Amino acid sequence: MFHLNKDRAAGIVLGTSFLITMALALFILAFLLAESLPVLREEGLSFITGQVWYVAGDIYGALPMIYGTLAVTLLALIIALPLGIGSAVITSEILTGRTRHIVKSLMEMLAAIPGVVYGLIGIALLTTSVRDLFGLMDGNTIFTAGLLLGIMILPTIMTLSDDAMRSLPGELRAQGRVLGLSHGQTIRRVVLPGSIKGITGAVLLGVSRAMGETISVMLVIGSLDRLPTPIYNVFTSGQSITSKLGREGAEGLGLGLQWSALAGLGLMLFISVMALTFTGNIIRGGVRPKKSKNHEVTG
Amino acid sequence: MILKRVYTFVTGFLLVTLLVMVPGGTAAAKRASIRVTGSTTVLPVAARAARSFMAAHPDVRITVNPGGSGMGVKSTGRGLADIGMVSREITDKERALFKDVDFNVMVFARDAVACVVSSEVYEGGVKRLTREEIKGIYSGTIKNWKEVGGPDRDIFVIDKEAHRGTRHVFMEYVFGEKTPAARGADLVSGANNEEQTKVSQSNSAIGMLSIAWINKDVRGMAIAENGKTIMPTKDNIINGSYPISRDLTFITNGPPQGVVKDFLDYIMSVQGRKIIKDSGYVPLK
Amino acid sequence: MRVRVKDICFFSLCLMAAATAISLLFIIIGYILWHGAPAINFAFLTEGSRDFGAAGGVFYQTTGTVLLMFTAGLIALPIALGTVLFSHVYLGPSYKKTTDLFIYALNGVPTIIFGLLGYIIIGEGLHLGVSWVTGSIILAVMILPSMAVSIDEALSAMPHKYRDAALVLGLGRWHLIRTLLLPRSLPGVLTGLFLGLARAAGETAAIMFTATAFSGVGLPRGISEPVATLQTHILVLAGEATNPRALTNAWGAALILVTLVLALSLTAMFIRRQVRMEAEI
Repeated sequence: MFHLNKDRAAGIVLGTSFLITMALALFILAFLLAESLPVLREEGLSFITGQVWYVAGDIYGALPMIYGTLAVTLLALIIALPLGIGSAVITSEILTGRTRHIVKSLMEMLAAIPGVVYGLIGIALLTTSVRDLFGLMDGNTIFTAGLLLGIMILPTIMTLSDDAMRSLPGELRAQGRVLGLSHGQTIRRVVLPGSIKGITGAVLLGVSRAMGETISVMLVIGSLDRLPTPIYNVFTSGQSITSKLGREGAEGLGLGLQWSALAGLGLMLFISVMALTFTGNIIRGGVRPKKSKNHEVTG
Repeated sequence: MILKRVYTFVTGFLLVTLLVMVPGGTAAAKRASIRVTGSTTVLPVAARAARSFMAAHPDVRITVNPGGSGMGVKSTGRGLADIGMVSREITDKERALFKDVDFNVMVFARDAVACVVSSEVYEGGVKRLTREEIKGIYSGTIKNWKEVGGPDRDIFVIDKEAHRGTRHVFMEYVFGEKTPAARGADLVSGANNEEQTKVSQSNSAIGMLSIAWINKDVRGMAIAENGKTIMPTKDNIINGSYPISRDLTFITNGPPQGVVKDFLDYIMSVQGRKIIKDSGYVPLK
Repeated sequence: MRVRVKDICFFSLCLMAAATAISLLFIIIGYILWHGAPAINFAFLTEGSRDFGAAGGVFYQTTGTVLLMFTAGLIALPIALGTVLFSHVYLGPSYKKTTDLFIYALNGVPTIIFGLLGYIIIGEGLHLGVSWVTGSIILAVMILPSMAVSIDEALSAMPHKYRDAALVLGLGRWHLIRTLLLPRSLPGVLTGLFLGLARAAGETAAIMFTATAFSGVGLPRGISEPVATLQTHILVLAGEATNPRALTNAWGAALILVTLVLALSLTAMFIRRQVRMEAEI
């Protein structure tokens, strides 16, 4: 007779939950792939290079959305990178003990504010400020979305860079001082280069967060499926992949080629974000401090 | 110590949630609920009617969600909504997607879509536009308000999401087709509230809205046609002279039954007609 | 001398960056408080919304957010705990990297994708519709990885020899879990739970098509009814940025939401810190 003992029962129950967790990510990828096949078959390469997204004629070119995603992400990075690393230098190399802990906790609070609240701030404050500051017709622009995202990913970049710098052994700094380097030189020549892997990982995770953020971008980007002219003019309305999905998702869900095209957008987003997350985590893996805080998860 | 107390508290809370959910889940089956989704033009009527209907029928729960006419058609077609709010005709493409669905369309009111502008433009002298002028603005050939008799400012062209009822009706008049590409557009908005907000935030915007959304910041353009100037007013909807008018409809999958029918009957009743009128539309005779 | 000047410039720049970052937090919190506080009063907290959110309160929105978040926590917690316990007891360290990879992958999925797929798979596929239960399942999947990581952190701090010794002594795996791992995982479970709840409460994209209704929502009478939430309420009201009454209520709702989310996050941070301090003693 087959006897089900407690150990085996626990194994089955726990194993099931383990399998569920493991299967989820794979399932999402497989589902997106399957659903986007029709549009890839229909549009081929022009799904990526096409500039026209015209549902009534079943024409789906995602280039404006791809451009929008890259543009807002790049802008966010330009804003968050210097601020994040600069602040990390302060928390990691200057502040100690309690003050450092408080500053880092404050940054984690900034990360915890919901995206829709950032969106509300964007609509009520940022769009009008950007409009008046730059003398634009309207403040719902790619630039506004990038600015908002920059603020949103700042805590991720800052806290993870801080972790990376702190994980460097103290002897390195001592050696720097022995060699006659000043405090600032030690940081510039020893600490920053030494923690470059960790910082790169932090940046990649920040970028992946920026790419996947939906609500705040959707509220301020202007939702226009068109490449700006000239192409670097970020002071016009645009569309990111996420804002397109947020705007058109509910209407196009599950039906016809339009849904397949939306799933295709989702697939592109999924693959890019996965690539960044994996690379970020792998790079960071080498320099991870003993007690990792996993900000990519909490953020 | 602290941890243990927190842990007990959390476990307790989770158990209570569970206890609330399980009986709640079984009881809900007995009570009627109606899900209404779609056009933001129709939404005020549905939401107000739902409120007074629920007051009289406490066992019925009616939830109303915005999303646009396209959402109304599709949610009804796939069975995720009991009633779709639709402010345009169901397109051939939509009918083809739902071959097995017998859409039952109930027209309850007339409405007009106005071409709207920022109040600054209106006061700057642009009080009427011809169809050709609007077409020029939306296709990007007319770029400055002075070309149509207004102030010397670039026109900020606000488009709407392609599946929206207001856009179908407006574009059918302007371009002769329901879903043209608007190459002159500078911004795309969704719900009526959003469109209204964007137009009033700007000092040089043009947009499209149901006449119920016109206010002191968002002015309705008169349409100049065949030497006549026709204002977007309720009177001109009733006498049929305003050219961009439409039916507002509720759609169901097959003829409405049970509480859904009761609710739709209520909208067509005297009280319902008052709600329609108060919302800014013309109830059917 | 030149080194000193360079250093001063360098530190000033860093200091400016840090000051900007911190002041951003205060500006944002201050801005929310400034605009949201006037909306907050007893009626706002205890009444339903009227006039399409321009009047009345956000009672049902608040309860909806809390219900969704707790139900999601209730679904996700056992699965997260089971996953981590399984990988620690039955798989051993050699599988750790692969397991982590999958958890990170799930954690990286943009939340809008959960919303789209959840609608198709759970809403339509399982016929659960736009409802409390659909939203909860989607949020549960979304917060599952952060819970798993927190629990895993707590267990990984425990030396492997404990586990090996227990097994050598002939104690069963279940016994090991019950006596050693479960108590050890407690702080991780709590941290993970609060982090997960905070994430679920702040999430909009994943639930806006799948769980919520804007008008006519009271307390849900069952898990198959939609709920109203603070997040989607803010989203809709944000479209009415020129209607001062609606905007004030949007800020009021935002203030409540931010308070809720920050309270949960701070609790998680507090527990994590408490545990670290105990571990260091």
